[in-house]
Amino acid sequence: MIIPEKPNVAEILSVSQDTSDTKTFEVEFSDKNLQKKFKFRPGQFMMVSVFGFGEIPISISSSPYKTNSINFTIVNVGNVTNALHKLKKGNKIGLRGPFGNSFPLQKFRKKNILFVSGGCGLAPLRSAIYAVREKKSEFGKVSVLFGCKAPENVLFDEELKQWQKEDFQVLSTVDNPNKTWKGNVGLVTALFKHVELPSKNTVVMMCGPSVMIHFSLIELRKKGFKDEQMFASLERLMQCGVGYCSHCNIGNKYTCIDGPVFNAKDLNKLPVKED
Amino acid sequence: MNYIIKKEDLPKFLEFLQKKFDQVIVPAKNKTDATCFQQYSGQELFLETRTDFSAKEFFRPAKEKMFSFKKKNSSFNVEPCFDTAKRVIFGIRPCETHALHALDVLFIKFFGEDRFYSIRRKNTVVIALQCSKACENGFCTSLGTSQATGHDLLFFERGSDFFVKVETEKGKELIDSKFFRHTSDALPSADISCKNSLDTEDIEENLYANFNHPVWKEESERCLSCTSCTQSCPTCYCYTTKDEFVFGSDTESERFRFLDSCQLKRFTEVAGNHVFRPSREGRLRQFVLHKLSYYREQYGVHLCIGCGRCITVCPVKISLVEIANKIQKHGLGAKK
Repeated sequence: MIIPEKPNVAEILSVSQDTSDTKTFEVEFSDKNLQKKFKFRPGQFMMVSVFGFGEIPISISSSPYKTNSINFTIVNVGNVTNALHKLKKGNKIGLRGPFGNSFPLQKFRKKNILFVSGGCGLAPLRSAIYAVREKKSEFGKVSVLFGCKAPENVLFDEELKQWQKEDFQVLSTVDNPNKTWKGNVGLVTALFKHVELPSKNTVVMMCGPSVMIHFSLIELRKKGFKDEQMFASLERLMQCGVGYCSHCNIGNKYTCIDGPVFNAKDLNKLPVKED
Repeated sequence: MNYIIKKEDLPKFLEFLQKKFDQVIVPAKNKTDATCFQQYSGQELFLETRTDFSAKEFFRPAKEKMFSFKKKNSSFNVEPCFDTAKRVIFGIRPCETHALHALDVLFIKFFGEDRFYSIRRKNTVVIALQCSKACENGFCTSLGTSQATGHDLLFFERGSDFFVKVETEKGKELIDSKFFRHTSDALPSADISCKNSLDTEDIEENLYANFNHPVWKEESERCLSCTSCTQSCPTCYCYTTKDEFVFGSDTESERFRFLDSCQLKRFTEVAGNHVFRPSREGRLRQFVLHKLSYYREQYGVHLCIGCGRCITVCPVKISLVEIANKIQKHGLGAKK
């Protein structure tokens, strides 16, 4: 009997501390068969349970070509994430999914790609970045923009450097710099002027706070990007991941089944900003 | 096949049902004089009109256990907890059979089954009771929900008898010759006329096109976000899950789901305290549009059944019908 709400037990293989409040968990289903069959597309998310504490939706941050384990990059910010952060290698959690749609990478062949991320919004994009990196010859030039609060919040620092070496354009910016910070200062939208990609043959994938997405879309439109070229992954409260609980309802769409990735053209029709 | 049962035989029939089912659910008054569905134990039934509370409690209860998690050898046993009680519900009104139908579409047919709902649903025999007069604030005739659907037996009040129409095999099995006698009389009229009426023509598009209509602000200004509307609504199904440890244990926990309400700020609150629908205006609009626009577009049926409970219980007299009609009058004008 299939029970879509039932979590499967999974083991934490390793935990790495990314920043003071962010950890990446490498996880594997305890049922080896389940892990073997496991597949996902970049941009999809899973429901992660800490038994006794609750369940939350978390984007997968690892490469879709690496399916022997799954990575989640999680900020310690609420009840469940707090409980998660206390777990160590060997501890068991619950997992179900993957859920939602994904970035339509197959449609992006031969195109330049611009990634725009804010804070832990880099995590879901990381999965797409890895997918692009794996099939580099199929895509054009790649730019990765990343913005966060302060230098100590920079996620995947080593990887950003590594990607830069592999001729991805990587630009990061912070709101509050310290003395040693050599990168840009300001919002992620301030980085657009440094992007070398032409608006014509470029697709944009973005994830971050809703304010960032809102203003990025506005700025990119000014630069000549069409709505059809831009995709954003949205954040919403979710309790089920399968369209039953209605928390993630935006207009006549559900973020969990129709999203989390939306084309900017569709976002225009949805009441994303509802205040 | 149609039958007749004497009204005075109804208690005997219910006792007969008690032998066949784990629970016999009937409409009656509770301790606070509110009318609701409850287990039959010989109490006086409330059959005049629809109940204050719907029968939702037996399909989508306010609190429901979903799973039990037991820690065992550093791993966890995850066991689903299903309510497998066999029930018969007597006296559910036609509009509410449409509520069940609307929920069936989402929880059984559309994505695959939500077992917590579908097991309850399949284990329940529905005996509907046709309304003989319009209820307070009801507008079922506008939505076409005044005739029952998907029920097993349908009772009509007729003088000192109930006229009974058999709809399914499950229903037929309950026709016991001790109480029922066959009749070839014509079906009694099931026409009622509601005072309220809702203009449903192109309502989905119109409401969505008038997203920024001033009526939302006007009406929501007196909204208290008390959630009475969503609690009383027979179709409001939105839920929140919550894990709790079993009292006194640090290895056993349980996952529950609670009915939640879109009228609360925390309904869209994510970690980091960001609320996606912070204003009452937005939340009231979410309620009305989910009922009359979104659900129809997504699943082909209205999530509103026209029972009028949300209007009756609202302490500040906000009326879904009034809002919708105001916008309907406006039409697609705001789109320009």
